[in-house]
Amino acid sequence: MNNYDVIVIGGGHAGIEACIASAKMGCKTALFSMNIHTIGRLSCNPSIGGSAKGHLAKEIDALGGVMGVLADKSGIQFKLLNTSKGPAVWSSRSQNDKDLYPLFAQELLLSTQNLTLINSNIKEIIISGNRVKGVLTETDDIIYANCVVLCTGTFLNGILYTGLNGIAGGRINEQSSVSISKNLLNYGFKTGRLKTGTPPRINRNSIDFRKLNAVGGDITPTPFSFRTTNVKNTLTCHQTTTTEQTHDILRKGFNESPMFSGIISGKGPRYCPSIEDKIERFSEKNSHQILLEREGLSTDSVYVNGFSTSLPRYIQEEGLKSIGGLENCIILKYGYAVEYDYFYPNQLTPSLETKSVQGLFFAGQINGTSGYEEAASQGLIAGINAGLKFLGKPPFTLSRAEAYIGVMIDDLINKESEEPYRIFTSLAEYRLLLRQDNVYKRLSQYGFSLGLLSENDIIKLNHREYLSEILVTLAQETKTNPTVINSYLESIGETLITSTTPVNTIAKRQKSSLKALFESNNTHVPFPTDSNLFDKAEIEIKYEGYIQRQLAEIETFRQTESKLIPKNIDYQNIKSLSAEAREKLIKIAPISLGQASRIAGVSSTDLAVLMLYIR
Amino acid sequence: MNSQTTICAQATPPGISGLAVIRLSGKDAFTIADKCFKGKILLKNAPSHTIHYGKFYDSDTLLDTITASVFRAPHSYTGENIIEIGCHGGYVVTNNIISTLIYSGATIALPGEFTQRAFLNGKIDLTQVEAVADIIHSVSKQGSHIAARQLLGGFKKRITAIRQELLSVCALLELELDFSHEDIEFIDKSNLLILLYNTIQTCRDLLNSFSASSVLRDGFRVGLVGFPNAGKSTLFNALLDKKRSIVSPIAGTTRDYIEDSLSLNGISIQLYDTAGLRHDSTDTIEIEGIEFTQKLLETSNLIIIVNDVSVSPVYSLSLYEHLVKLYPESKFCYVQNKIDCVTNIDIHNLNFSSIFISATQDIGIKQLKDFIEKSASENLERISDVLLNTRHSVILSKIISSLEISIQSLENGFSNEYVSIDVRNAIHFLGEITGEFMNEEILNTLFSSFCIGK
Repeated sequence: MNNYDVIVIGGGHAGIEACIASAKMGCKTALFSMNIHTIGRLSCNPSIGGSAKGHLAKEIDALGGVMGVLADKSGIQFKLLNTSKGPAVWSSRSQNDKDLYPLFAQELLLSTQNLTLINSNIKEIIISGNRVKGVLTETDDIIYANCVVLCTGTFLNGILYTGLNGIAGGRINEQSSVSISKNLLNYGFKTGRLKTGTPPRINRNSIDFRKLNAVGGDITPTPFSFRTTNVKNTLTCHQTTTTEQTHDILRKGFNESPMFSGIISGKGPRYCPSIEDKIERFSEKNSHQILLEREGLSTDSVYVNGFSTSLPRYIQEEGLKSIGGLENCIILKYGYAVEYDYFYPNQLTPSLETKSVQGLFFAGQINGTSGYEEAASQGLIAGINAGLKFLGKPPFTLSRAEAYIGVMIDDLINKESEEPYRIFTSLAEYRLLLRQDNVYKRLSQYGFSLGLLSENDIIKLNHREYLSEILVTLAQETKTNPTVINSYLESIGETLITSTTPVNTIAKRQKSSLKALFESNNTHVPFPTDSNLFDKAEIEIKYEGYIQRQLAEIETFRQTESKLIPKNIDYQNIKSLSAEAREKLIKIAPISLGQASRIAGVSSTDLAVLMLYIR
Repeated sequence: MNSQTTICAQATPPGISGLAVIRLSGKDAFTIADKCFKGKILLKNAPSHTIHYGKFYDSDTLLDTITASVFRAPHSYTGENIIEIGCHGGYVVTNNIISTLIYSGATIALPGEFTQRAFLNGKIDLTQVEAVADIIHSVSKQGSHIAARQLLGGFKKRITAIRQELLSVCALLELELDFSHEDIEFIDKSNLLILLYNTIQTCRDLLNSFSASSVLRDGFRVGLVGFPNAGKSTLFNALLDKKRSIVSPIAGTTRDYIEDSLSLNGISIQLYDTAGLRHDSTDTIEIEGIEFTQKLLETSNLIIIVNDVSVSPVYSLSLYEHLVKLYPESKFCYVQNKIDCVTNIDIHNLNFSSIFISATQDIGIKQLKDFIEKSASENLERISDVLLNTRHSVILSKIISSLEISIQSLENGFSNEYVSIDVRNAIHFLGEITGEFMNEEILNTLFSSFCIGK
């Protein structure tokens, strides 16, 4: 007799999504945390979203996850990034009050039906045969469950470094859990070592703001979640830069940096490098941008974004003080690096269940990813699939053509990355279709079918899609003429029209705006609109050709995706496969030819061999 | 696909010939052959790349004296054990040998199966697979030479070079997006434009050699057109140098046309006689069975307009002008036939060049043949070192249009992610040529053009 249907271990961003999803799906769920007061902490950057990460946060919202709502509630500045680029890469980012975010998260967890929070360390995952049975707590209680979702982040064998001093612990002041790693190694799971770092925090009152540029949020801030009606910017950030002098100071400490001296063996993220990495790698750049982000409205702590470091304390201090505005800064918390275990994610199926142990799911940093959004999306997918597994339903997965979440998970399970995985727009082949503006159209129907979105939610969302479609039709059917529209075209520097032209034809031009076109033309829109709705319609019109071409690409993608590889295929028997491909195919056991094509080490020739073999 | 079987088939063309080669490939090739072959030693003990003389038996009946060439895996065409049996030609002997081999455990090969196995065993890549098909189908010596070069991978190298260049462009575009907050321009827009234009030009150059390639593959296509009674059929026969009294219509076509081939100085010429042009009362020209005749003329490298000079030297001039407009890519020749029927014609008053002939009296035919040969060799000069087939040319056109769209996006001020989608598409198409990108359709196309025994 099980105590719970689903057990989630770890209350980080992955764990939160996992346990809420499972509970909402009607499964009796328990969340185990070492300390329930630290659930939902923003342990690194006090912000949610950013380039491509904003897409993930939105996708979580569209599927019925909670990250967007929590970010909106605790948000103190909202900004849409990459607006100088096309709408496909526009990404939402918020800065958040790091005290409020966890409070809202804990409040939400406590008020979620079917969910129990348990403050306890887990010593062991109990596995029998190839099936998970439950967990063993630090007090040696056995708790049985149908499924277990492991979201323990950097806590597995974590070692913190400031300078050459290493202390065990996941986050600073918290202890790390060694026994689960050992426990799972015994069951044949393979682990690797990764590192990540965090910058120092300084006291706001010690910053000389007169020398710094203020950076504000958007004039009309937009929330992450469709469930949030209104958000406000209540805080400005400040920008400064490092100097040659800073770089010289920091270089002095390189031989005392654990990452440089080789004490930390784990690989660090390429894209979120420490300041010492940046100085080393972009040696021709004599300054790097630093953003000073206050960590909340009721704290004086300021996050020094761009200054992630594990150098010794005295070097950090000297370096910071060489930066404009920080001459007299007081450090509240020094930067540190953390090295931790991760499980090679190719041991997982697309539903994030482990291949070797039924009912055991891994989500978040434990799979080698970096970032709250990456963790949360995995948590959501793992939680959903743990729930589905308990309910006896087939797993839920998203394809690369549907969502950034699909791209990420597909990459994780098929490609071998030696550094923390972070989402990027460049990773998504179909990114012109994976936009923030169409996220609900892409995903909300799934959220509704899974029971994570209510009927009211879906009606509201569908209505918005419908209104945007009406705007597109209206633009097609409305004609405009030179007299009413040319002065507008002139004002934006576009070629004038010479005869009556449909509005959508002009809206296709790069500089024109659909809203302005309707206004100049005195076109009456028979329902209340907002700028987002216009943006949505305009994107459909302006990028129609590109969208059509991507849809055609997706069609080809789906075809190879639907070519299934028989489960009983014996790769040992296909002599003509390369040795590397054979080994990878056996290890990953791809479901389809499409998936096989994305496995690192499987060449096109191997693929052709496979195609000829299975037909 | 079952690589456990041992396959056999005749590798030389069927029919009456002095010698024929039967190929046997698979892991049991030696043991199967040894069941029927009696020589000095057992073939399974013979070293690779040796030839053995002996007798081939169907149980006790001697079928032929043969030579058996031994190729041991993986050093053979297919990468498997191969025995090539050199026997006497003709249907009876070869069929008997093949039946005996099948009785002894071999199975008959499917079309292209030897090559497919060669591919599966990593002996050749896909452009080489295509080159094998091209050599088989090649109608001229030059054609097979170029296909042979392709077999050595030259074409693939060129395509791979273009692909590499586009890949690096794409990488820079992506990098700029990923580091958008750092505000670094990794690739200068004007450089990018130049690069894209250059790549398009390279693809165009390749594509231009396609029509020339097809001349090598299919022959130089010459279409005869003219009004009834201009003497087309007579000229057709005169060019072929044979009396062909009955013309057989090609089945399945709506219009009758006749086709035959001749060889001029080693170049294969495909000659077509089109029917169906008439002058109607209102003096406008109609091309009847329009789609069909059009198709024929479209693919013609040279269009010969046959005019009955005895009616008037300019009688077909409007037809000529009409066709020149319709097919600007083709070469034209205005032929004044029945020159023997007119006595005093002032050729100097004609302001266009024409060739004067008499198809019945064999006047000017040599001159016309010289003209055809000259046109054909001019066409061949445009060929570089690659031989394109239809699949390649279709893909190259797709690549060009993708790159054109990406240039358009750049020029219209769209940001990198819109530029890169079409560059990515172009890269994808290039991969379809080299086999970097693979799908079932491509595989089917590749192996379907083979015949049994290859």
